[in-house]
Amino acid sequence: MHSGGNASSLPLVGGAPEPTINQLSKPGRRASRFPKLDVPVTEINNPAIRNDKPSLPEVSEHDLVMHYSRLAHRNFAVDVGFYPLGSCTMKYNPRFADYVAGLNTFANSHPATPATFTQGNLEVLHELEKFLIEITGMDNATFQPPAGASGELTGLLIIKKYLEENGLSNKKDIIVPDSAHGTNPASAKMAGFNVVEVSTDIRGMVNIEDLRSLVNENTAGLMLTNPNTGGLFEENIMEISNIIHENGGLIYYDGANLNAIVGVCRPGDMGFDIVHSNLHKTFATPHGGGGPGSGPVAVKGFLKEYLPGPIVVKNSNGYDWYSPKSSIGRMHGYHGNFLVALRALVYMKLLGKEGLDTLGSYAVLNARYLSSVISKIIPLAYNEPCMHEFVATVKDLKKSHKIKAYDVGKALLDKGFHSPTIYFPLIIEEALMFEPTETQTVDTLDDLAETLKLIIEELQGDDVSLEEYPKNLPVGRPNELIPAKHLTVNWGDFELLELTE
Amino acid sequence: MFVPHSEIDLKKMFEELSISSLDDLFTHIPSTLKLNDGLNVPPTLSELESISHFESVESKNTQNLICFAGGGHYDVYLPHTVKTLTMRPEFMTSYTPYQAEISQGILQILFEYQSLICDLTDMELANASLYDGATSVAEAISVAINKTKRDGVVVSNGFNPNTKEVVNTLVDRSKFDIKYVDLVGYMFPEDYIFTEEDAAFVVSLPHYEGSAQDLTTIVKNAKAVGVITICYIDPSMLGILKTPGSMGFDIVVAEGQSMGSPLSFGGPTVGWFATKKELARLVPGRIIGETRDSNHTKTYVMTLRAREQDIRREKASSNICTNQTLNAVGSTIHLSWLGPQGLYEIGYQAIQKASYMKQKLLDHDINISNPNNSLREFIVQTSKPAEDVIIEMGNKGFLAGIKYSDNEILVAVTEKRTKSEIDKYVTSLQEVDNA
Repeated sequence: MHSGGNASSLPLVGGAPEPTINQLSKPGRRASRFPKLDVPVTEINNPAIRNDKPSLPEVSEHDLVMHYSRLAHRNFAVDVGFYPLGSCTMKYNPRFADYVAGLNTFANSHPATPATFTQGNLEVLHELEKFLIEITGMDNATFQPPAGASGELTGLLIIKKYLEENGLSNKKDIIVPDSAHGTNPASAKMAGFNVVEVSTDIRGMVNIEDLRSLVNENTAGLMLTNPNTGGLFEENIMEISNIIHENGGLIYYDGANLNAIVGVCRPGDMGFDIVHSNLHKTFATPHGGGGPGSGPVAVKGFLKEYLPGPIVVKNSNGYDWYSPKSSIGRMHGYHGNFLVALRALVYMKLLGKEGLDTLGSYAVLNARYLSSVISKIIPLAYNEPCMHEFVATVKDLKKSHKIKAYDVGKALLDKGFHSPTIYFPLIIEEALMFEPTETQTVDTLDDLAETLKLIIEELQGDDVSLEEYPKNLPVGRPNELIPAKHLTVNWGDFELLELTE
Repeated sequence: MFVPHSEIDLKKMFEELSISSLDDLFTHIPSTLKLNDGLNVPPTLSELESISHFESVESKNTQNLICFAGGGHYDVYLPHTVKTLTMRPEFMTSYTPYQAEISQGILQILFEYQSLICDLTDMELANASLYDGATSVAEAISVAINKTKRDGVVVSNGFNPNTKEVVNTLVDRSKFDIKYVDLVGYMFPEDYIFTEEDAAFVVSLPHYEGSAQDLTTIVKNAKAVGVITICYIDPSMLGILKTPGSMGFDIVVAEGQSMGSPLSFGGPTVGWFATKKELARLVPGRIIGETRDSNHTKTYVMTLRAREQDIRREKASSNICTNQTLNAVGSTIHLSWLGPQGLYEIGYQAIQKASYMKQKLLDHDINISNPNNSLREFIVQTSKPAEDVIIEMGNKGFLAGIKYSDNEILVAVTEKRTKSEIDKYVTSLQEVDNA
């Protein structure tokens, strides 16, 4: 093997568990120093003032640095290994974006600074909007939504307000595929819609007949990813959007899978009215261990005035904020995750036309290649050409050897790879969903497939105890029942539990 | 760019797939949808070229405005140690820690984050972050509504107007009645009467206007009729103010920017959320728990997952998925760097410097609307329109504050401001406003 995983060293350090920062605390130690107060002291009298010091750990700066550095060595990341994680687009995050995001006034502007003094920041948002609407085929965008789920809610609230203003408040049904991400139905519910599920056909696409039967005068809209969560391009997308539009509904593009089609085709041309993008997926901003992301929402021109405001506009004097007239209202305290948006712009500028035109193609090439290689080891869920990701299943291995998708994922961890996404989409039994992204080499893809083959052979061995995997990591499989039952969510909780039991 | 495929790689991959070009990958996509000429975007830039591009864009921002604006986001000193540790690539480029065995670093830090926030606020359970302060207020209201099944929401008017706008967006006003209660003398009225229709009482400590009060009695009155009480705090004042828990609050939320995140033009920052264990199953977002692995080794893991959208779908407690983990890591490391004395000093020095500044302004015949019960933030009166004053002060190198009303500016002082900066601000303001 050549790269990643088994061939290089295992990325994580184990050994004895790291104490908490609280266990490292000793009275009187401190890392912080402040300048001496340079104004005369006055007596402060306010009934809200406390008489004692707050409860915080007391550690030296060196202890602090060692503690968090040791924790870093116990954490997998894009910079240390391969995440074939379906639906998550864990591509390389360019280091150069860190430099730009750290530039003085980008990093340190107060969000209430008037537009006159933040022309650079507004230019960043304006330029990114231009890229984004070109890539998605839309007309206007907001950067307030700080994540994809917030983008979904933004889009749904726009649909709601648009329908209300057009006297169509009766339209309360949002149609969501049974293969959709959980955020889709959760967001629809939060926006006050009824969730109606449309089934998936045998080829893995929206069941058109079922869709026709579900659409009626109460249909407010449809939420869809294309390619869908099975990694397949919805070939009948124009028919789907016509069915919804003919009934006065709007269609919403969940940008989770946008990486597959950048430079290939555009949601706007497929009839989508609203699109959210995940800058932390498609446009290479780091996932940060779970966030921050950024979920800008782009719309067709007729929905511009519904966007959360203010949005950036360019006029003869430069850039300014504009408040859309029928805005759904703010989705974020200020301008969304600005520094994430900036990083995405850096990525787009570096790629430029050459890189963006072929982005989706290389993402699909890697996935199609990996699916071809992996299909010789375990069956794929659908016999269709995949886009940027694909789903395989170990349901046969579960029957023959009680090997679950979960076990395969855990065994892969041992070999230096992140697990693929498992048990998603929900409609596929024992699903393993792979998304390699365009930034991995063919060698790494080969290594992953080879490793998968080896561990599946290994797991079928006679005296194998599946629960023992992973074996070579800082910790083994966690007991997930204890914290859920006893709420050991705070330091001291677990020790207290041990004392009382 | 960042695509590693060599000609040799492509040949191998094309052979495996029996194709001869990248276009052959998309024969199943309707040709009418395909972009034949590609995207209308500028050509690629090398890193070297893009340095000058972005440095030039950055230079269009007015440089080095001395920050006297607050309203939730504060120019607190962010140590390099905190910044560099937070931005370690093992944290920054990692995914959500669903795979506990390879994510103990992030999981333990988030567990420490939850614990630190509980200790600081006197709560029992914190989540692993929400988007920001404003959305955290809305999420807390949603918890209260779900808990009480009531439809009234009592919100103090002493909030950043943007926060109120977020609440108005996210809480369905066709179903729930949001009552904004005016402050009286910059204080929430002690004699406010809550009813059994009220689900939530939301108040800020200190108020947006900078005034602070002990809210114990008001909280007691609200809880007496079953209202869930929610306190929005300024984390950088936690070293000096009484804890929300000691005042009896059920839920604490905060804009956590001042702990561990640069001002960032407002984002990414972090929304803190902490509560009592009895509300655990209604809490939005991820929660980390401590457990043991099969060898009885200490292990951290995401827990109470059955509340979340990927499992409960439309019945989830919230739609939140991606959160602000890296900013929560920043909060954890910053709080640990500060320790009890450091957090105290941030609050103490800010209040001392604000007191000095208020006196100085009064000495220069500039009026303050709430001189007596305000702490680090207060409202300065202007004779010229506040907007014009802010622009003119900007031209003199100061971010004067946030426009509060036509003739009032909300001014914030942090521990970073020096006596000399304050003195210059006061004389500049006098010049600007009297000119």
